[in-house]
Amino acid sequence: MLRLPSTLLLLLTTVFGHPATEPEPVGFPVLAGFAYKEGMTLPKEVTDLDEKVVQIRGFMRREFAGSGPVNSFMLINDACGCMGTPMMNEIVFCTLPDGVTMEVLTGVVTVTGKFYVGEQKEDGDVILIYAMDADTVTIA
Amino acid sequence: MRLLLLAVVAAPILAFWPQGPDEWSEHVRKACESSRFGIRLAAAKRVADGGDAAVTAIQAYEKANGRNALPSSLVDAIADTLAYSNATNELLKGWATDTEFYWRSSAMRGLALRAGALAHPPAVVSPAAGEPEGKPAPAFDDASLKSGEFFDPYVNDPAWLMRTHARFGSALVGRPIAGQSTEADPRALVRLTRLLLDEGQLPPLQPLIEALADQRTFLGIPWGQRLGQEANKALHNWLAKDYPEVTGGDRDKSTAAIMAAAQANSGQQLTQPKEQVATDNGIVGGFEIASCKFGDQFVQWTADGTVFFGIDGARTTKLPADKWQELLQQRTAITLDGNAGVVVCDKLQLVLVDTGMRVDVAPESLPNPASEWLKRLTQTLEEANETERAANLRRGLGQFEGR
Repeated sequence: MLRLPSTLLLLLTTVFGHPATEPEPVGFPVLAGFAYKEGMTLPKEVTDLDEKVVQIRGFMRREFAGSGPVNSFMLINDACGCMGTPMMNEIVFCTLPDGVTMEVLTGVVTVTGKFYVGEQKEDGDVILIYAMDADTVTIA
Repeated sequence: MRLLLLAVVAAPILAFWPQGPDEWSEHVRKACESSRFGIRLAAAKRVADGGDAAVTAIQAYEKANGRNALPSSLVDAIADTLAYSNATNELLKGWATDTEFYWRSSAMRGLALRAGALAHPPAVVSPAAGEPEGKPAPAFDDASLKSGEFFDPYVNDPAWLMRTHARFGSALVGRPIAGQSTEADPRALVRLTRLLLDEGQLPPLQPLIEALADQRTFLGIPWGQRLGQEANKALHNWLAKDYPEVTGGDRDKSTAAIMAAAQANSGQQLTQPKEQVATDNGIVGGFEIASCKFGDQFVQWTADGTVFFGIDGARTTKLPADKWQELLQQRTAITLDGNAGVVVCDKLQLVLVDTGMRVDVAPESLPNPASEWLKRLTQTLEEANETERAANLRRGLGQFEGR
């Protein structure tokens, strides 16, 4: 398992990274700007982002309370996690490259990578609508 | 024929509906323990929609694992479900009145929504007439909720979400606001307005309009923008087709267009907000206590010993130069290598701008040198006549001291 400090993750772009296109900045006002209901047609401004390389600012949060480095995390728009449970369209489920882990950073971070939009189900339940193959995580 | 139709429609639903207590226990376990957030959310919704049938399984889980093992997602799902029933109402009351429970404010929101439904039972709507079905009438009665008396002890709670949800309940039943202190937390003003709008009330909209121009930060955290997004979404939902076409790039113009639409739809006289800018210029350090129990506290300081209190830094005090210089020189005591402890809800975030340190500390996890430094800061504040603030800080910081 490769464990790297966040700043070095930047270098991973050259190894694991997607084409060197300029990432499109995306904000939570767009991602979370509508009332999500299961099975709905997602807004075009959101579906247009599918499979694009994007850059999103937010706060890292573990999927489950704990400690130690992670290979995947949630990116949300709430600094303290105390504003209530985030809605499905307020969470980007980020996964680092295989074998790479990092500590969960506090404060605002910028995550860059390939973005996927669409309901993903498990046992009939929607478990996410936004996912990202995160190439870089930097303190904003 | 109708029975046959019902059987055809209901069969697939019933196939997934838990048939016995063991299945409810399994759903509760998933809602609390699944490593996947999405699965926890889905299971929580299923448990919440189960109403009274699921309550025994929730209580059994609580008994076995402790109340604070319940995640916020489960409490939020139960708070928001329309399965208003007696057993879930009692469950929420038990949670809301437990000051040790992390998610008591979520339970309070659930009680506020139930109070509103009890005080104003929804009119019976005929689906046959092609109208959407409204919220169901509660299948229980509760005099203290219906009158709003239940909320009285919490309308000035130190935790902002707790008092906001209590005030929300009071407002929904039309209880007079006498006894409520003036709200100073901008987050609370926006949240209460948004909650009331969502429930079909028309509160004064100026707090939402103000939030649209809020760019304030606390130790680099852009909380003003977050408020603006919440306000914009609330206004968007409320205005629906009357929400104006806005394009990025000119915030003033967009705000003016939204304000004009809100003014036309509400009949309220609204004023264009002045942009509130980042407030942490010159700040060299600080900390935030996020506490569902004691309330959030925000402290930040400049190099010359000016200390700002509140998320908006609206209240300040100047510490004596000699005492402050001594503290400043010893500030490495609060330098931590990384996060300390496992944060579930309450946390202390320490920030030193010059070294770039920003760490989260869980209750009972603050190393002794840092704890001692914060105590000295509190003592210095007390000596500078900030007696009440010092007492609040002592209370808030106490739970983070290492054991």
